[in-house]
Amino acid sequence: MSMVYINIFLAFILSLMGMLIYRSHLMSSLLCLEGMMLSLFVMMSVTILNNHLTLASMMPIVLLVFAACEAALGLSLLVMVSNTYGTDYVQNLNLLQC
Amino acid sequence: MNMFASCMITALILLTLPIIMTSTKLYKDKLYPYYVKTATSYAFMISMIPAMMFIYSGQEMVISNWHWMTIQTMKLSMSFKLDYFSMIFVPVALFVTWSIMEFSMWYMHSDPYINRFFKYLLMFLITMMILVTANNMFQLFIGWEGVGIMSFLLIGWWYGRSDANTAALQAILYNRIGDVGFIMAMAWFLLHLNAWDLQQIFMSANDNLNLPLFGLLLAATGKSAQFGLHPWLPSAMEGPTPVSALLHSSTMVVAGVFLLIRFHPLMEQNPTIQTLTLCLGAVTTLFTAICALTQNDIKKIVAFSTSSQLGLMIVTIGINQPYLAFLHICTHAFFKAMLFMCSGSIIHSLNDEQDIRKMGGLFKALPFTTTSLIIGSLALTGMPFLTGFYSKDLIIETANTSNTNAWALLITLVATSMTAAYSTRILFFALLGQPRFTPIISINENNPYLINSIKRLLLGSVFAGYVISHSITPTTIPQMTMPHHLKMAALTVTILGFILALELNLTMQGLKFNHSSHYFKFSNLLGYYPTIMHRLAPKTSLSMSQKSASMLLDHIWLESVLPKSIAFFQMKSSTLVSNQKGLIKLYFFSFVITMALSLSILNYHV
Repeated sequence: MSMVYINIFLAFILSLMGMLIYRSHLMSSLLCLEGMMLSLFVMMSVTILNNHLTLASMMPIVLLVFAACEAALGLSLLVMVSNTYGTDYVQNLNLLQC
Repeated sequence: MNMFASCMITALILLTLPIIMTSTKLYKDKLYPYYVKTATSYAFMISMIPAMMFIYSGQEMVISNWHWMTIQTMKLSMSFKLDYFSMIFVPVALFVTWSIMEFSMWYMHSDPYINRFFKYLLMFLITMMILVTANNMFQLFIGWEGVGIMSFLLIGWWYGRSDANTAALQAILYNRIGDVGFIMAMAWFLLHLNAWDLQQIFMSANDNLNLPLFGLLLAATGKSAQFGLHPWLPSAMEGPTPVSALLHSSTMVVAGVFLLIRFHPLMEQNPTIQTLTLCLGAVTTLFTAICALTQNDIKKIVAFSTSSQLGLMIVTIGINQPYLAFLHICTHAFFKAMLFMCSGSIIHSLNDEQDIRKMGGLFKALPFTTTSLIIGSLALTGMPFLTGFYSKDLIIETANTSNTNAWALLITLVATSMTAAYSTRILFFALLGQPRFTPIISINENNPYLINSIKRLLLGSVFAGYVISHSITPTTIPQMTMPHHLKMAALTVTILGFILALELNLTMQGLKFNHSSHYFKFSNLLGYYPTIMHRLAPKTSLSMSQKSASMLLDHIWLESVLPKSIAFFQMKSSTLVSNQKGLIKLYFFSFVITMALSLSILNYHV
């Protein structure tokens, strides 16, 4: 695998780590989700362009659309939590405890 | 011959003169009531001339003077039918109204708007005359609506009282339901017979007349307070006593009966409608007599008595005797108006006390009123050879000997005995015994207006039956032969009612008051009819409309079906299936640990 792929793959792994390990703010998790989407987009575009997979050229665009929707959803949930509690601390999401 | 038409028209126009004088300064005069009363008395005397001409010669007349309009093929003109019914009713009504106007000059003496009161009474009289002398249904309808409107204005005379306003509105509503029947009859006659003139209707009616006759019966039910549309009549006692005496005893409430009498050639041929009329009248007379037995307001007892007598008139029409019903209308006017006027005299003397439980001992204090009250009650119950006897006894005899519904006949007899019972109750509580009112010095019957008016009606109550029934042209032949027990039936039940009521009243005087039985409550609350009909029907329709409009459309279809149901379902299912602790960081961290562990193990696996 060439260096570019490893680089982008590393960016993806880094964002994944960032999303799964976070301290208090929910916002950081959402930002790392965006980072994951971005790295996926770049990897997909580079792969398709280098290997001339012409028919799959629309897939990055589609990925971008869905990433935008998902970001909006995530942000709206954040806003809901923030409306209720004033902050976005993750320790507030404890209503569904048994 | 020539005097007939001109005298009648003169009498009718004479009545309208004080109304025309309203815009002059005569209306603001203190003597305006006197002018109105004098105009009525002159109109009475002038109308006696055609009446006596009619009695002498039996000649009837139709005056048709002004062509009003022509609607395609139907010609409407202003026409007056001066036949047996209107010729005799007009002098009687004018006589009674004259006495009532003189009475109300005493009764409403301290009222600041007495001029307006007399104007309203006169307008009522004019519309009643229009109704009675109408030859086509349109003119009759004008009179019909006119008396309804004047009744509304006069019942709500003391408009500051909310009860009076409610009663006036109630009168209008119940009359309106009856008017639907009248309009249905008018429409049927227009469509099928192309006529609103009585002569043309009687000539050309030969097919199934059930529908228009039923409409006319409904109109009579509304206007004459028969069972089903009756609560407005006792409530109408909120008006001043002269109004009760004029409208709701002698003149307006007989308009319904008069309508049925006018259409008697049509009703003769239709046994279905006759049976309906008979049963309706019988139920009315019994029910209102039951209600009258336990009322405590003297005017309400007399109002129920009126309603019972109206039921008797309807029964008479039901056994195909319109002339007897008409005779009863004329004789009933005298003593019923007098009963109301005596009640008015008692009420004013006791400083506006209307509850008979707080009267008593007026036998010596108000001798003239006592006399006329007793004579009026005796005439009402049909004491032989007073006024009521000539019509009421004939009715009961004819009903006894006719091929009629035995049940209807039986309850009419029971109602006749109840008439005697509640008349005794009035006399016992109001006149006899020791006084139950606070000592007051306003007991006075010295005013000549009061004395003269009651005296005139007293003479009428005693002699009018004899005079009228021996002067009129022969109509349907009364039944001459019948067994003894049928002949004495009316008298026997009346005497039975008197004795029973008197004994009960005397026996119960010193006893402890016990709580009301179910029968008492049924009678006192008017058979629960107003309670049910005035509350239940509006409540169901209003709640049904609220449920269909607001609950069904707004709440359910627009709110609950998708939005709220989805939210509700999601919440319930999420609480059902989730057993989360909400430890998000732990879950994410375990994801990292799992991935790292699996990748490192896979690395070494190769």
